[in-house]
Amino acid sequence: MAPAARRVERGGAPVRADLEQVFRAAYARVVGVAARVLGSRDEAEDVAQEVFLSFGRTAVPAAEAPGWLSVAAAHTALNHLRSGRRRAAREGRAGDGLTVCPDVADAVVTLDERRRVRAALARLPRKHAVALVLRHSGLSYAEVAAALDLSPGGVGTTVRRAESALREELNRHASSD
Amino acid sequence: MRHPTDGTLRRLLDEPAGVADADREHVAGCPACLSGLAAARADAAVAAGALSTEVTTDVDAAWQRLTAGTAPSRPAVPAAPRRRWRAALRSPVIAAAGVVVLLAGAGAAAAADWLPIFRTERIAPVQLTQADLVALPDLSAYGDLRIASEPNVRPVAGASTAAQLTGLAVPRVGELPRGVTGEPTYQVGDRVTAVFTFSAAKAAQTATAAGTTLPTPPAGLDGSQFRLTAGPGMAAVWSEARGVPALVVARAVAPAAYSSGVPFTEARDYLLKLPGLPEDVAAQLRAFSGDGKTLPLPVNSRYLTSSSAEVGGKPATVLTSRDGVLAGVVWADAGVITAVAGSLSADEVLSVARELR
Repeated sequence: MAPAARRVERGGAPVRADLEQVFRAAYARVVGVAARVLGSRDEAEDVAQEVFLSFGRTAVPAAEAPGWLSVAAAHTALNHLRSGRRRAAREGRAGDGLTVCPDVADAVVTLDERRRVRAALARLPRKHAVALVLRHSGLSYAEVAAALDLSPGGVGTTVRRAESALREELNRHASSD
Repeated sequence: MRHPTDGTLRRLLDEPAGVADADREHVAGCPACLSGLAAARADAAVAAGALSTEVTTDVDAAWQRLTAGTAPSRPAVPAAPRRRWRAALRSPVIAAAGVVVLLAGAGAAAAADWLPIFRTERIAPVQLTQADLVALPDLSAYGDLRIASEPNVRPVAGASTAAQLTGLAVPRVGELPRGVTGEPTYQVGDRVTAVFTFSAAKAAQTATAAGTTLPTPPAGLDGSQFRLTAGPGMAAVWSEARGVPALVVARAVAPAAYSSGVPFTEARDYLLKLPGLPEDVAAQLRAFSGDGKTLPLPVNSRYLTSSSAEVGGKPATVLTSRDGVLAGVVWADAGVITAVAGSLSADEVLSVARELR
């Protein structure tokens, strides 16, 4: 374990000793959070790599790692959305591991849905988008509250507003398509 | 009393235990809040659908990539099995309990003495879209649903223990399909029992919140109770290295609904008219539950296709995931449901099913 961990170095920065343990425990969850934002496993796995590289250089206590990693995954994925980089490449690559579409028509519909969801998430206030994604990734209200420095009641309000805005965005684009 | 905030209504959907009793009680009796709750539920369902994702990951490969600090290229991995299936495969008894909830819509009838009114002897698929599933009426809006005993699904040492705990004959697989190897692990689940008490007042409130009027209930229905049971059940699971079941053979005592007096058809037709059940689904339920011997098996047509087959002379339903990765077959025989499913083709699951001993 330790020799492997020591290999993970960028620019000579030391990495934490428990990185592999945290990585193995949280990797699927981090990819899941990013995939909810991006709608693509490949891109979500890229985000996860970035997030764990950052995490490796922090001193975040292991007990707080899951929350830290989830928030970092949501923010990093939303950054990817807004920067728009790789989007063209991704959209040219149907069935990238998330879905195996039986026919072309289904593939087109799925890509269009993903595009609309991504666009809608990008337009939400950042805190709303993060709360929404974390809640739908299975984090409890207490976990979302701790991660975003909200009260549990505030999480409900934020998630509710985000869902309402998301539905409106999706409806608007559905009707204008 | 002041109305709880939208945030409190939203939390009520996910974590009712986190909401103060006073707020919960207020909401239950307040048409405005029930309406707000319904809107929150609808928006949450849209968001859940929009953000749903089915991702399998290869942690070893990802860790290699991190330690190597290499560029994105990844080896091709097999298509990801659908998580809904994976969840269902892991807990076949829970899946049966889910069917019971659907049955309650068709099976709720009347009072005092328990008489079997609905015995599962044949299985018919209902094509339900995801929207329909979301829109199925929440029973708590029509009365009180109390889970009297939980399935408590747990691993057990072997086939003989599974047989002993469930009283079921453990199905034995003749020849394993190609790619499936080793010995299975066994799981059992206890009988699930739920009691639903119909409340005309609650149903009327729900109807008002939905902007409609409750049809007059048949005499004697208000306050009457229905007992719904499923299980016990067991499953033999052959796993792949990554923990996804390669093959599952499951058997459970079929769901049944018990009621008394009031004719089944009368109560069923009334319940099918309750606000919240989409008319096309109601029509399907009406069509095949007339004999009281057919199990409505909800099929999410977005993910699954169904077809008919025969296993041991009994009609069987074959389900195939639209991505072609998973298939399953389900049939009922003398009140016992058996299912064979896995990351296999429809032909392979049928072949296993027909050679069970």
